[in-house]
Amino acid sequence: MKIFLLYIDPGSGSYLVQMIIAGILAGLFYFKNLWMRIKSFFVKSKKEENSEND
Amino acid sequence: MINEPTAIQHHPASFKDPSGFIFKANGKFYRQINRSYAENYDLLMSSGLYKVLTEKKLLIPHTEVIDNANQSPDWYKTILPEQLPFISYPYEWSFDELKDAAMVTLRVLKIAVKHGMVLKDGTSFNIQFYEGRPVFIDTLSFEEYDETKPWIAYRQFCECFLFPLLIEHYHKIDAQKLLSVYLEGIPASTTAKLLPFKSRFKLSTWLHVYLQASVSAKNKPTSKPATASFSKTKLLNLIQSLQNAIKPLRVETSLQSTWNNYYDETILSKNYLDEKEKIFRDFISNINDGRTMDVGCNDGYFSKILAEKNRNIIAVDFDSQCVNKLYLDIKSGTTKNILPFCIDLTNPSPALGFNHLERQSFAERAKSDTVTALALIHHIVLSKNVPLADVARMFAELTINHLIIEFVPITDEKSKQLIANKATYHKPYSPEAFEKNFSSYFETERKAIIPGTERILYRLKKR
Repeated sequence: MKIFLLYIDPGSGSYLVQMIIAGILAGLFYFKNLWMRIKSFFVKSKKEENSEND
Repeated sequence: MINEPTAIQHHPASFKDPSGFIFKANGKFYRQINRSYAENYDLLMSSGLYKVLTEKKLLIPHTEVIDNANQSPDWYKTILPEQLPFISYPYEWSFDELKDAAMVTLRVLKIAVKHGMVLKDGTSFNIQFYEGRPVFIDTLSFEEYDETKPWIAYRQFCECFLFPLLIEHYHKIDAQKLLSVYLEGIPASTTAKLLPFKSRFKLSTWLHVYLQASVSAKNKPTSKPATASFSKTKLLNLIQSLQNAIKPLRVETSLQSTWNNYYDETILSKNYLDEKEKIFRDFISNINDGRTMDVGCNDGYFSKILAEKNRNIIAVDFDSQCVNKLYLDIKSGTTKNILPFCIDLTNPSPALGFNHLERQSFAERAKSDTVTALALIHHIVLSKNVPLADVARMFAELTINHLIIEFVPITDEKSKQLIANKATYHKPYSPEAFEKNFSSYFETERKAIIPGTERILYRLKKR
């Protein structure tokens, strides 16, 4: 049986998960951006979609 | 001025957040803002966030009312939000309605962060459909952003939006019905068990579902506040990751559902549809009522005819794929006054939540000036075995003024299909029995046989 999270506030349970996810994402986005920069050096960049450009 | 002297009760669904509450006065819904929320409300208005969100039609606009109608000691302000024609719940939405609601929530969050604010909750009940699109309705969900903190509503957002969408995406099943059981969202541990093995190999699913499920299972609850520090970049990355996870999710639109090719493939001829449309247009031409409910709307062919007159149309069908198709159709088109939802008239949404009052039943919300029910009655009587007398009472409860209803006789090809494998059905099922039962609640204003068929279209007026 799993522990029932009755006395835990809605945020704190997810804080640790977010720390881990954010760590992984930081690495991923770093390499993605690096790759995009290398790519854009060789390929002329297409215009960004601006429909969701907030 | 509201002019309601006595203390007013808060709306039964508006009790969780101490920042304020919704109340009804003189037939309108107002929102009281409590003193404890004053700073955040002022920041929402002064930071320019309210202006940007309402201009982009992402947040419901409101006007401030200078009146403490509730005589409440906590009172800071009262606002009058733009009134919605119909309140719907996530378990009545189709896949793309839930998906768009999720994307709107993330967009609202992203814009809020840019204005120094954040969403303090991430439930799907903060979204309603208005003018054909999802809009954020909880004006009190914004709070000042502390960059050192992760997003407090992350888990709730996942449980209310991402997880049901993933289950639907991977299994191609109507998983949104689960949300009427899991009112606060489907937990990560449950989702992890429901998703297929292959979903583990998708990074976003692994991060948001499996990792979250295993971390929250191992992480024992403590009374110590979370101390770890976060950053704005990390939060924006998290939002981006959620957007990337949700964007590619799909349900097959080509999949054959019960109805979704009804008009394309049916043995009923184009001629029948033309004749029916002619009579239908004639019947509705001098009805100018407010809200119209098209029950059994199918692909919305007749909902769109009704919508030509600028009425508010609520189009419901039990087939979620039909509803999804209609929603996408409306989204890409110019008609904005049709709101499609998944409702099974023989098993409509019940009253749910605290005291059975938090989420209203469909019957409590559905009463409409005009109700149209085309090619539907044979399904209710012959497939679902509901006697005509009960069908008549149900429509009487739904209708305020007019009911336009098509009677499909037992000799009709479609009726024959429905009783082909049945030992018996509720008899008599005939135009005479129909008229007799409906006459208890309605008088017949118009009646026309659709040429080339034995089907009859009635325009009834509520007594």
